[in-house]
Amino acid sequence: MMLRNIVTLTLNDLAIAFKNKTIFLIVFIPLFVFFSLKLVDMSGTDVKKTRLGLIQTEVYAPAIVKTITAADQFFTLLPVSTEAEGKQWVKEKKIDGLLLRDGQEKQSVVLVVLKKESLQALSIVESFSALQKAVEGKNNSWISDVTPLQEGGIQKQTLPTWILMLVLLVGFIIMPAQVAEEKEKKLLLALLQTPIREIEWLIAKVLSGMLLILSAVLLLHLLGKFEPGNVLSYVAIITVGSFCFSSYGILLGFLCRNQASARTLGVMFYLPHLLPSALSDFSQKLTAVAPFLPSYQLYEPIKSILLDGGCISNLSREWLYLLLFGVASLCGSYLLMKKRWLM
Amino acid sequence: MQIEIYDLTKTYRENRGLLSTTLEVEKGELIAVIGHNGAGKSTLLKMLAGWHLPDSGTVLVDGINLEDRLAVVRKIGFVPETPNLFDSFSLDYNLKLFARLFSVPLLRVEEILKEFDLIPFRKSKVQVLSKGLRQRVSIGRALLADPPLLLFDEPTSGLDFEMTHEIYRMIKEFHASGKTILFTSHRPEELKALATRIIMLHRGAVVFDGPPDTYFQSEIHEKLYQ
Repeated sequence: MMLRNIVTLTLNDLAIAFKNKTIFLIVFIPLFVFFSLKLVDMSGTDVKKTRLGLIQTEVYAPAIVKTITAADQFFTLLPVSTEAEGKQWVKEKKIDGLLLRDGQEKQSVVLVVLKKESLQALSIVESFSALQKAVEGKNNSWISDVTPLQEGGIQKQTLPTWILMLVLLVGFIIMPAQVAEEKEKKLLLALLQTPIREIEWLIAKVLSGMLLILSAVLLLHLLGKFEPGNVLSYVAIITVGSFCFSSYGILLGFLCRNQASARTLGVMFYLPHLLPSALSDFSQKLTAVAPFLPSYQLYEPIKSILLDGGCISNLSREWLYLLLFGVASLCGSYLLMKKRWLM
Repeated sequence: MQIEIYDLTKTYRENRGLLSTTLEVEKGELIAVIGHNGAGKSTLLKMLAGWHLPDSGTVLVDGINLEDRLAVVRKIGFVPETPNLFDSFSLDYNLKLFARLFSVPLLRVEEILKEFDLIPFRKSKVQVLSKGLRQRVSIGRALLADPPLLLFDEPTSGLDFEMTHEIYRMIKEFHASGKTILFTSHRPEELKALATRIIMLHRGAVVFDGPPDTYFQSEIHEKLYQ
């Protein structure tokens, strides 16, 4: 009898999980991870050549140039006209590193990379070390210094990812559940029996989402004592981003009948928006796919402002994208609300 | 005429809902809409309250089309079967929130609290109140803007005998104060002394519309309820 009850209740729980779409997560997450890993860990990634920039007018130590030119299975050498152009290429990820002649040690070079702690920088240093050992029998002097273009420790390097997580958490987990709860408990219908306009409710909801996001980001900065760099640009992009993702979350909430569905849908949107953006640095394929996502259009400007001293005036395409996406989501929510969709 | 309903239709996938219905309601009527579960009673009231949009048809309230929500919203007070209040907030908070949205003075909240004997519970969270008390709060909220038309969907559902009679007493009082009232019920025997008119729905269609005396002597009552 007891066993039968347990089986009955278990089946009932599974039926509920199926009914409120929780079961979709069980299928979705492994599928998502599988496809993500396929994008990140492609076969042949390990032997991908490192692209090094050499300044055309610079006179490098002949032994270094000769050795790395010969090691063409590891390095692709690209000529750049000036140091400034080379650094720009590093920022734009056209090359992985730039070699500068060391002013004091003539037989050494200075390596310029985007991030000092990155796997890319480590890989170049190790390759140089191995090559030097093979040629000269010693292995510690060809690269005299490593200069990163993005300042700050590993904590600051990861800050854009944390901020993106916060924004997406409010946008995809909190907002849809809140909207779905108001629909499920008929609270929205109660509010619509008062003389408020649909658009007033929507704007209030977007503002509450934006305030949650802005408060969370502010708290993160205060606790971590992170300097935002260009404050106005930073506040502007976070504001536009929070508008976009609050509106997006509200739209998702309108597509769900109840809170359980909203939670499931939220997670299904959260991961695909977070991972491609946060992992785009590690995969050329993801770099190609990620720009289609609004999360990337928020992540890149945040990264640029926080780590490269970027300014919002140079990021007009990104904030315009976020603004339009937010407005489109808001229009979609308005139409669903007018139709009393799943209410 | 307080309400004019022309060819109002709303159907659901299960072939339930309301078939093309035309009705007129005079000011000051107290109408019981009766019928079995799924007859279309709640659908009718929810459309009048703006909860559901009709598939077709027109509803005029005091000559104003129901589609003009902002123009009619102060004319209709709707009390749903399950009180839809912000459960994690106090009774006071709920009433004040809706008073602000209706732009009525907060003094009106005090009047409602007093009228419905809710003052001792004003600071209590809605989620800890009994169903009867929540129903009273829900009725109080519907009356905040003093609408001339009140709609009650199964107002006594899930209530005990005492509370049921309390609700019917309230409905009588609202009617005596000149309000037009429509309420749904599937217990017609309770309505003999209450309603001035009975509308009976069966499978989405109006099968009876007349005074209670006529209804209780009719074959329809015997067929469907005996």
